[in-house]
Amino acid sequence: MDDMRGTTGNLAATTTKITASGVQVHYGQSHALKDVSVDILDRAVTAFIGPSGCGKSTFLRCLNRMNDTIPSARVTGKILLDGEDIYDPRVDPVQLRAKVGMVFQKPNPFPKSIYDNVAYGPKIHGLTRNKAELDEIVEASLRKAALWNEVKDRLDAPGTGLSGGQQQRLCIARAVATGPEVLLMDEPCSALDPIATAQVEELIDDLRSQFSVVIVTHSMQQAARVSQKTAFFHLGNLVEYADTPQIFTNPKDPRTEAYITGRIG
Amino acid sequence: MNTAHILTAFDRDLEAAQALVVRMGGLVEAALLDAAEALDTRDEDLAARVRAGDKAIDALEDEINTRCALLLALRGPTAGDLRTVLTVMKIAAALERAGDYAKNLAKRTAALAQMAPVPGASASIRRLAKAVVQMLTDALDAYIRRDLKLAEDVRARDREVDQMYNSIFREFLTHMMEDPRTIGPCMHLHFIAKNIERVGDHATAVAEQVIYLVTGSLPEDERPKVDSTGSGA
Repeated sequence: MDDMRGTTGNLAATTTKITASGVQVHYGQSHALKDVSVDILDRAVTAFIGPSGCGKSTFLRCLNRMNDTIPSARVTGKILLDGEDIYDPRVDPVQLRAKVGMVFQKPNPFPKSIYDNVAYGPKIHGLTRNKAELDEIVEASLRKAALWNEVKDRLDAPGTGLSGGQQQRLCIARAVATGPEVLLMDEPCSALDPIATAQVEELIDDLRSQFSVVIVTHSMQQAARVSQKTAFFHLGNLVEYADTPQIFTNPKDPRTEAYITGRIG
Repeated sequence: MNTAHILTAFDRDLEAAQALVVRMGGLVEAALLDAAEALDTRDEDLAARVRAGDKAIDALEDEINTRCALLLALRGPTAGDLRTVLTVMKIAAALERAGDYAKNLAKRTAALAQMAPVPGASASIRRLAKAVVQMLTDALDAYIRRDLKLAEDVRARDREVDQMYNSIFREFLTHMMEDPRTIGPCMHLHFIAKNIERVGDHATAVAEQVIYLVTGSLPEDERPKVDSTGSGA
């Protein structure tokens, strides 16, 4: 089934980027994620949907070990990025997060200039040797985030002075500056107005030509608009994972149907 | 999907659209029965009422389309809800066409009333009409009850209707060859038979929409066509 914006590209040509198998997460006594196994494709947008507390953000945070920062969290099971176990003790989580970037719900630019916001990651990871190279990365990242034309004349202005939608695109530029392979987005548009949302969605559609994008969203229409694969989580379980057109026209599991048609909260 | 929406207005809108399509189905069934009756008994008053009644059927289709457009625009239905809206629109379109055929039968009744009866024709047509109206009734029942089996059955029965039409076609051909004075009435009667056969196709379309509504996909196998008249589908 083709949609008009062409977001349902040919998935046959893509390969698996992340393989999760038997992933369980406990926060202390509470069992937040129960035995989740899923293959996430490269060069495609995968949407995680489900009611609040269903485990979708928890699972997203497993993919770049953000749950490591929560003392009570315990993650078991296997998550492979390009076939390598990201929970292997030899893996440096900081290096991992450069490869698996993240964009959060509320735009959270550093209280620095637009330029420094984007340059920060490449600097601390030592990705550049001189100012010219850094300039190049900053410009390329801002272009990828579809923000360059709006900010090129005021790169020294504070990032916090931008509009909400621009701030979010700045955060996306910051995330892509370290040359990631996977971009995780946790409700990236929930604080944006409809126009800024459309711009970020358009950007997400562009980004999938270079990255594997995983987006958590409460807006089912957004999942339908931007993703090629959709995973529905409920009560810590991955209920259904399928091509997005399939999920929204003819889901197999009655719980998925009940959720997307607005029958359970 | 029996559970109600969290948003009750959504349920109300969906149910209203479906109630309209069922009402439309009732009007079309009645129009077809009346048209067949008028033809059989040469009742011109009844035929006139059928012709006038088509306006109400068309108006219902318009109202259904308007409501479905609003549902799509305002509620953003997905999955089973989406299929419900899509099937309501398609069933309404099929019923509207079936209604037009009833109207056409009634028009030809007036013309036929001026001509000499063709022996045996009215019994054959009555049988064909009965089979087709039953198909439509069953297709609508299958819709109301989401009855996959009945829908499949209606779909299979279209084959019998095609066969009945083919034999009527041959019957009329024989009459016309034997006695050229029957050509006028036989042509009208042939169009009547063809139109009733087409109503069968629309009843089949309704049944196929029921299958789509319940399973999420249309039947893939080509429906068996038995048309040896060479007049096309």
